[in-house]
Amino acid sequence: MISSLNRIIVIGRNTLTEAVRQKVLNVLLIFSLVLVGSSVSVSQLATPGLDSAGMFDAQIKFVKDFGCGAIGLFGFCIALLSTAQLIPQELHNRTIYTILAKPVRRSEFLLGKFFGIVLLVALCVALMSLAFAATLYWQEVQGIHATDAIYNQNPNWRANPDAVNAYNHEIQEIVQQTRDPQLIEAVLLIFAKLILTTGIALLISTFATSSIFTIITTFMIYLIGHMESTAREFWLASGASASIWQSSLVGFISLLIPDMNSFTIVDEILAGNKVPWSHVMNLLGYADVYLIVVLAVSIVIFDYREI
Amino acid sequence: MAALLSPKHTPYFLFVHFPIGKKVSIIKIRRMEASAPVAAPFAAETMGLTKRYPLTWKRKVLVALDHLDLQIHPGEVFGLLGPNGSGKSTTLKLLLGLIVPSEGEARIFGLPTDSLEARRRVGFLPENPYFYGFLNGDETLRFYGKLCGVTGPKLDQRIEELIDLVGLQNGRERPLRSYSKGMLQRIGLAQALIHDPDLLFLDEPTAGVDPLGSAQIRDLILRLKKMGKTVIFSSHLLEQVQEVADRVAIFSLGKKVLEGSLESLLTESRSTQINFPAELSAEQQQRLREALGQAGIEARDIHFTRPHLSLEQLYLRTVQAQPDPTPKNPAGP
Repeated sequence: MISSLNRIIVIGRNTLTEAVRQKVLNVLLIFSLVLVGSSVSVSQLATPGLDSAGMFDAQIKFVKDFGCGAIGLFGFCIALLSTAQLIPQELHNRTIYTILAKPVRRSEFLLGKFFGIVLLVALCVALMSLAFAATLYWQEVQGIHATDAIYNQNPNWRANPDAVNAYNHEIQEIVQQTRDPQLIEAVLLIFAKLILTTGIALLISTFATSSIFTIITTFMIYLIGHMESTAREFWLASGASASIWQSSLVGFISLLIPDMNSFTIVDEILAGNKVPWSHVMNLLGYADVYLIVVLAVSIVIFDYREI
Repeated sequence: MAALLSPKHTPYFLFVHFPIGKKVSIIKIRRMEASAPVAAPFAAETMGLTKRYPLTWKRKVLVALDHLDLQIHPGEVFGLLGPNGSGKSTTLKLLLGLIVPSEGEARIFGLPTDSLEARRRVGFLPENPYFYGFLNGDETLRFYGKLCGVTGPKLDQRIEELIDLVGLQNGRERPLRSYSKGMLQRIGLAQALIHDPDLLFLDEPTAGVDPLGSAQIRDLILRLKKMGKTVIFSSHLLEQVQEVADRVAIFSLGKKVLEGSLESLLTESRSTQINFPAELSAEQQQRLREALGQAGIEARDIHFTRPHLSLEQLYLRTVQAQPDPTPKNPAGP
């Protein structure tokens, strides 16, 4: 058991080393530049009809939306592209033969590869989150400076208790928005969605003959996963108006393809609505169960694959 | 029944008693003591090993390997010969458990080929290996060593030994993507040996390697043989196979068409060759003919020829005679 775990760790670490040395993490540099660039440019925009607080709210909202969206998009590209070429590259380079000729089970090889990509995605999300947090902190500093500048127009404002209260309130608002603990929930949910995508891509790559097939199929499943909840609501909720075939099809797809739309709860978090941790945990549990099933099926298929 | 009682199968007698009307049955299993001494298992053995690939679109079946029976003894160097597509690589893959046979069975030291126990005893060098280009020589051996459960000081020591054995001191810190073909083959051999296996499978170990590198790999196979390892390899270079193999099997269209020791297959039993370390003059040849005639050998059956070097021997002799341009001890002031 321990030696089996060791082999999975060795393969996983090697997969991560490969990605790092092949400069996959350079993508993160682009991410940081795009994020900082957009943040700086948006802070220089004046929105007509908004006061300084409203202006700052709009800026923070934009940075949060853009940051989370970019983490999701860049993470999706890294997870999908890295997973899709895992097995085809091993087959092309014949490295898979040297590994499977050693005392290594096929399941250990597959799990090692999967955990390598999970580590890579985790590292990328962590680094992108750091850049995101730094941008938010920069926005906070900018916001406080802007507020100070407005209040300092009246040199005696500190003598006015109402003005001091209003100032403290504004500063508190800024800090609350930039240091929103709910953003941790958002990043966790984005990570869970990325790992789910990785699992699906791995499953497809166990029987696919090319990386392109894996990428396209995973992308299709990702899209269907986003649309299935709408179809389910439309057909299953409409009761009698849906035929038995339509209901069965939607039910079957719901079982087969994960409901990616449930992770759009991140948008609620970004809109400032409160999402309880229990709901986040439920979603993470759903992703875990789905992943276990996906990995089990992948192992069975890969066990039978002729290499 | 004979197969059931053969030494390679553990003989069991099974008594099953099912009393009518009761759910519980009494099962007694008793191991039968083998009366005859159990022979050591073959290093590799195949029985009717067959691999077919269905070509669905053409409604045909490609027979990559057809009922192969092979028995390779421990300590033997065995060569698999044959043209491309004759079933050599398929045989190696089946013996390694990388693909599943359509029919028949293969065993490594009496163990099923897909068992971890069997894999602990084998090393494999695939044809034209690439390995991970982003790792250097040391890291590559460390990676494969850890996969085999070799760790700590034992792994360090093993890496030192293998780097020495394959002569890759100059490749330890270089990434494999900068390796030459010959260096890749040598690091491939080192990774195949990292867990000190008893049996080595080498698929075209000298393919694409220059004659000098090729000769080094040949020498390495001979050293492995001296170390008691069993080596099964495939090659197109017949002269090299002749130099290292104890036995060979020749494949054609998925079938083994010839098998035997090189001694028995290549010896011309109807003629005798005598070598002299000097050129014989016409007069000396005539006197020899007369002497051999007195021994009852007819003069028309005696032929005088001068032995030829092979092109490889000439190449190696020429290249190895060149002085090494790198100074061994740079002269100090």
